[in-house]
Amino acid sequence: MQVRVLLFGDEARKAGAEHVVVELRDGAVAADVRPAVERACPALAGSIDHVRVARNCAYARGDEAIGRGDELALIGLVSGG
Amino acid sequence: MSGDTTSAGRVEVRIVDGAIGAEALPAVGPGDGAVLVFEGVVRGTEDGRSIEGLVYAAYEPMAQRQLEAIATGLLDSLEITSVRVVHSRGLVPVGGVSLRCVVTAPHRRAALEAMDRLIDGLKRDVPIWKSVR
Repeated sequence: MQVRVLLFGDEARKAGAEHVVVELRDGAVAADVRPAVERACPALAGSIDHVRVARNCAYARGDEAIGRGDELALIGLVSGG
Repeated sequence: MSGDTTSAGRVEVRIVDGAIGAEALPAVGPGDGAVLVFEGVVRGTEDGRSIEGLVYAAYEPMAQRQLEAIATGLLDSLEITSVRVVHSRGLVPVGGVSLRCVVTAPHRRAALEAMDRLIDGLKRDVPIWKSVR
């Protein structure tokens, strides 16, 4: 399935885009998202190990199932305040 | 803008354009003995260089949700009565307020503890980013 992953901050700057579309297998889990992003966007390869995956506006556990229609995002180091 | 009333107390979270202006403090209840306000202000230098201001960007639906979750967790775990968090989006010039947190509580210690945990949580988990202008 194809899923859109939102990018912010440093990740968006490196990718030159605010989202990337990735291909995930049926039954994919949150831990599959980062490798899929690296495949889809080589500019991010090797630089997103520390980045957390959010699913539907909440941080996702690695074993959390990803479904069609989920809103996914990569959340790098935040700097609010 | 949104607010969330819980059985344990009150939560108010807002993300607003530009610098945060003056506003009335939350109403205090008869049991409140402390109103603690923290304001984050944009410094005039970043890494030793003068700046015009900071530009804040947020993944707003998640930032709102995370802030509400942090505040609700504090209300559930500490003896406090309300939490208000206001954060800026967009440009905040030097000297402007980019974050205002207000905690009310019967006693100061719980208010101070809540404020510390609130700001730590914000800086760790809330998807807001700043860049220098």
